[in-house]
Amino acid sequence: MRRSRFAAVAAVALAASVALTGCGRDSGGSQDEATSVTEGKASGEITVWAMGAEGEKLGEFAKEFSVENPDAKVNVTAVPWDAAHQKIASAIAAKQTPDVSMIGTTWQGEFAKTGALDPTPPDLIKKDDFFPGAWDTTVVDGSSYGVPWYVETRGIFYRKDLAAQAGFPDGPKTWDDLTAMAKAMKANGVREGFHLQPGKTGSWQSVMPFAWSNGAEGATADKLSFDTPEMTEALAYYQSFFKDGLSGTDLPEGALEPDFVSGKIGAFISGPWHIGLLEEKGGAGFDQKFAVAPMPMKKTGTSFIGGSNLAVFKDAKNRDAGWKFVQWLSKPDVQVKWYQAVKDLPAVQSAWDDSSLSGDQFLAVFGKQLQDAKAPPAIPTWEQIAASFDLEVEKLCKSNVDAATTAKTIQEKATAIGTGS
Amino acid sequence: MTTIDRGVRGRDRVAKAVLYAILSVGLLVVVGPFVWMALSSLKPEGEIRSVPPTWLPETWTLDNFRDLFSRLDFPLYFFNSAFVALAVTAGNLLFCSLVGYALAKLHYPGKRVLFLAVLGMLMVPGMVTFVPQFVLVSNMGLTNSYAGLILPFLVGPFGVFLMRQFLQSIPDDLIEAARVDGAGEMRIFWRVVLPLCRPALATLGILTFLASWNNFLWPLVVASTEDKYTLPVALALYSIGQNRTDFGLLLAGAVVVVLPVLIVFVLLQRHFMRGIATTGLK
Amino acid sequence: MTSAPVAAAPARSVGTTPDRPAGSIRRRQRLRRALTGWAFSAPYTVLFLVFMAVPVVVSLVMSFTDLRSTDLRNPFAVNFVGLDNYTRLFSDDLFLRSSVNTLVFVVIGVPLTIVLALAAASALNSSLLRFRALFRVGFYLPVVTSIVAIAVVWRFLLDPEVGLVNNLLRVVGIDGPSWLFDTKLALPSLIVMAAWRNFGFLMVVFLAGLQAVPADLYEAATLDGANRWQQFRNVTLPMLRPTLLFGGVVTGIGYLQFFEEPFVMTQGGPLSSTLSVSYHIYNQFGFGNYGYAAAGSYVLFVAIVALSVIQFRFLGERK
Repeated sequence: MRRSRFAAVAAVALAASVALTGCGRDSGGSQDEATSVTEGKASGEITVWAMGAEGEKLGEFAKEFSVENPDAKVNVTAVPWDAAHQKIASAIAAKQTPDVSMIGTTWQGEFAKTGALDPTPPDLIKKDDFFPGAWDTTVVDGSSYGVPWYVETRGIFYRKDLAAQAGFPDGPKTWDDLTAMAKAMKANGVREGFHLQPGKTGSWQSVMPFAWSNGAEGATADKLSFDTPEMTEALAYYQSFFKDGLSGTDLPEGALEPDFVSGKIGAFISGPWHIGLLEEKGGAGFDQKFAVAPMPMKKTGTSFIGGSNLAVFKDAKNRDAGWKFVQWLSKPDVQVKWYQAVKDLPAVQSAWDDSSLSGDQFLAVFGKQLQDAKAPPAIPTWEQIAASFDLEVEKLCKSNVDAATTAKTIQEKATAIGTGS
Repeated sequence: MTTIDRGVRGRDRVAKAVLYAILSVGLLVVVGPFVWMALSSLKPEGEIRSVPPTWLPETWTLDNFRDLFSRLDFPLYFFNSAFVALAVTAGNLLFCSLVGYALAKLHYPGKRVLFLAVLGMLMVPGMVTFVPQFVLVSNMGLTNSYAGLILPFLVGPFGVFLMRQFLQSIPDDLIEAARVDGAGEMRIFWRVVLPLCRPALATLGILTFLASWNNFLWPLVVASTEDKYTLPVALALYSIGQNRTDFGLLLAGAVVVVLPVLIVFVLLQRHFMRGIATTGLK
Repeated sequence: MTSAPVAAAPARSVGTTPDRPAGSIRRRQRLRRALTGWAFSAPYTVLFLVFMAVPVVVSLVMSFTDLRSTDLRNPFAVNFVGLDNYTRLFSDDLFLRSSVNTLVFVVIGVPLTIVLALAAASALNSSLLRFRALFRVGFYLPVVTSIVAIAVVWRFLLDPEVGLVNNLLRVVGIDGPSWLFDTKLALPSLIVMAAWRNFGFLMVVFLAGLQAVPADLYEAATLDGANRWQQFRNVTLPMLRPTLLFGGVVTGIGYLQFFEEPFVMTQGGPLSSTLSVSYHIYNQFGFGNYGYAAAGSYVLFVAIVALSVIQFRFLGERK
């Protein structure tokens, strides 16, 4: 019994080591050349994966495309957001990818680096049509591997009445304004003048806008520079809200909207989806009580840009038609129609000329903010760096670690993780 | 049990009352979330999210369920879930008892290694084999198929372990007698042993059905078109968004998903209880 | 685990010829037995080898490489790094923190769950009780209830302002803390929640185990003058040993891999005080560090095996 067990283990080890001798990375990286797409109308079946509400509605919406391209049929498979990242990664591993897929902006770097994505053909899709921040999320190693589909950005939601009471009827314009407004609100009895997320998942989306507005770069595709005076200043500013009691650290989940409606929270940072949430929570007429202000100015008033991109896979069975479909979705009028169907904000700049967007009191603010919004670099290790960032920010807000130390620690951890190139 | 005299009877009554009291409180505590889940599925979205949470709905509504059934192709997903779960359960019942019997009662070389492999497999954390399993299954051409959803789970180490434990407690003389009578092993297995296993089989059936019915990640990754989605996948699809969750739909879905399992459980719980119990004894 | 005593091979009257030596008959019987055994085991073995063994071997090999998700299309173009991933784990702050958290969870959670289950089983076993089925189904319900619903209710229960727990404490004059936001209290809160969720399963195991204890043992003890507690210690517990072992092993395996509770309730916080090893590994898979995450998984595997072995030694049958 012993002997046969040893033999089995040895056999496995041998097989493994034989397999591994065939392993090893080659040092050179190949630069992908974008190839152009054939002329003419799209034809054949196009398989598309899309998540969430987009997945639900895209199938019906895409029938328009078949009207313009009668030989083409779009087959949309809706994929749950929960674990969509895992599904796409597994599909890449097994070489079972569709033609086109919607991908989150922060996944772009990772998937592009696998070599599974087809570079964007420059003659088909024009970079300048899109918001610069959105286009940057598609760029990996100097080439674009996707096309922005819809975007979202962040602004300061604030209670008009409480802000007026605090002396800022038009909302805060600068960093100093924001602090003064929050302090005055607190003096007037508001529990949290300006609620910020105290670390934990995704807090970087609230912190980095302040960093960018102060001229700190944080991370680019080649360089990690978290340990700079500008970053430290931004972190200290973020921390000041907690130190001065203007933001709490213990807000239970689901309590933000009710507290904002009841006036316990005076202002917070978020994106366009909160408009609907607040209107729902606050009931009729509440939309008159709050407004959105762009990110307050320091050196600039830069916000975070997120959203989703569309990518075509190298192993696509119908590559050309896939790109044509993506091109169709990027047409300004189609982007507007898509907004009207699903409420996704267009990534194409000229789409915002439409009155349904520029005429909306809240969306107009977000539209303007999109002109000055940045995203983290499309590197495969960003999620991991962001997780370390969030952890250090949590210590900054809850344990009062000083900002300079936090910046230094983040830089150390990020360097250890690397940019994955 | 013992002779009951007046004093003991009085003490018993107090003890009884205390016992009932504690157990009832315990029951309430335990059943609470489930009741909340069911009641909340009948509330409008805004009320579900309210802080503090409410118990009885202020507004009773069937909207969440209406939404669920109109947006989802419910019969399709229900069928997929049911088909896969039943197939996996049947497979486990059959194959695990076959192997369990062999491990418990037959003698053959390599049996010990096999059993250790079963135990070992039970202790491997599930996450680590996920991607290799998927690559394997797709290389076999089984993606987006019922076979891909069923085959990897058709037999599992937990089931083998459970059946082996239970079958060990079946008296050897019974089997010996059958052998002496000239019956072949298969005959013995079908006619003599299996009928004695009803509690264990009910146990294994429920547990396997529950696990397969609630399986989320594998069906999500294996299916590449929606017609192969199972119920949990479809529910996540419609209720969880990038930035917000549709709780009404989620809870209505949770109620719908748990109902078949609950029904199966309540029906079989008599056997079930006896089943797990006896395997624990050895 | 006791194995069944080896039965003597019955002599078959069919087919024996006087001039065949007894040895070859026995060999034939052994061969037939081997074939039968493997025939019965074949369906499991084949499926196991294909769908389980191969992925395990592959993932084990993966743990010795620097495979990342960006290598997924070319999995062989990776470097063999030997034990690098494993040694890196032990200098990874988060991994060490999560290991401590997991250890605390198991060391406190397993006994707590067992005690609760045993208490409930004893109560339900009492001859004083009616409506047993109702209580059985009720106590088992958390096991089948969606973790999402459980999380919402528990988050409410532990809410510092409006939660039931703090309201009850207020009645006795204690100002309750912010349970899930306190780095020292978050993990204990999750332990209690896990015990609450899982004790139903164990309770049922113990219930049947209790019912199998012969009544005359209790009678004899009562005649000897033992009270209820002494009876429990000296009659019930020893008889229950194999059942306790099964319960301990199964719960231990489950709790070492605890993931859902921190994932849904606290996302590993505050300040990583509820980060479990499984959760840390899950994050690493999410970041695409496949080789590293695989190494973490196999370290967890070793811990699971070790715990099970310890429990067998401690609670195993004494001959």
